[in-house]
Amino acid sequence: MSEFLNMGGYAVYVWTSYGLTLAVIFLNIVWARRLLAKSREDARRRLAMRGEQS
Amino acid sequence: MAWTWFHRLGSPPYIYGLAARLTPWFAWSAAALIGGGLFGGLFLAPPDYQQGEDFRIIYVHAPTAWMSLMVYSTMGISAGVGLIWRIKIAHAVAASCAPIGASFTFAALVTGSLWGGRMWGTYWEWDPRIVSELILLFLYLGYMGLRSAMDDMQRADRASAVLAVVGIVNVPIIHYSVLWWNSLHQAPSVMQLGKPTMPASMLTPLLMTLLGFTVLFAALLLVRLRAEILNRERTASWIREAVTS
Repeated sequence: MSEFLNMGGYAVYVWTSYGLTLAVIFLNIVWARRLLAKSREDARRRLAMRGEQS
Repeated sequence: MAWTWFHRLGSPPYIYGLAARLTPWFAWSAAALIGGGLFGGLFLAPPDYQQGEDFRIIYVHAPTAWMSLMVYSTMGISAGVGLIWRIKIAHAVAASCAPIGASFTFAALVTGSLWGGRMWGTYWEWDPRIVSELILLFLYLGYMGLRSAMDDMQRADRASAVLAVVGIVNVPIIHYSVLWWNSLHQAPSVMQLGKPTMPASMLTPLLMTLLGFTVLFAALLLVRLRAEILNRERTASWIREAVTS
């Protein structure tokens, strides 16, 4: 197992690449969900304001 | 009659609902394909006879690089459709692509740099493939900067679309750079019809990650597109139903 983690002596290159890519995937998911949640919240607030005026 | 499906594709409420229904399917197939592909790449594929264990970077480098080009093509074509036929939803698609593409282009550059650092003995080289990929990152960032600098949505759509369309010329340049110029970067080993240069145990995980990242893009795009539609359709009556459910 430790030999595998070591990746032929250059583990840091392989693991850093995988870590960075997974981080980019994770951040993309978080950003997209947060954007949609914010847009929904904004739309809800706009509708509520219009409801009060009428 | 036969064209009704096409007209519905321009209808925001229809697209909003369709995007919401399709997202989980894309998201879960992306999780399965990327998970399986990376597992296969790390544990099942044999070490490369020349590059040893380091070649395993390919399972994150090739899909992120593929994303950088595929997302840009989607963005450029949608922007062009928006410009020519004045379809609002096409501009919304283009705007949704940019942050996704920029982040994966960044990942492609960094994973490539790490791979090159080992294989070529240099993290950075003013090489045709690397420089054209860096220009792609700047195109994404320029597109996003241009959009955020304009308050008027319609003007932002049109101006940024022109940039996106012009930037498409960079896509074939990146793809063929390793063949046209004397580049450090290795020539393509997957996109060659009829003569695979890898054994199946190496190639299968790679194809899984390439497909997995593609459906991940679809899922991310659909979520962002719904947000774009909500921001654009400020006064439409169907929105009340969409955000209270």
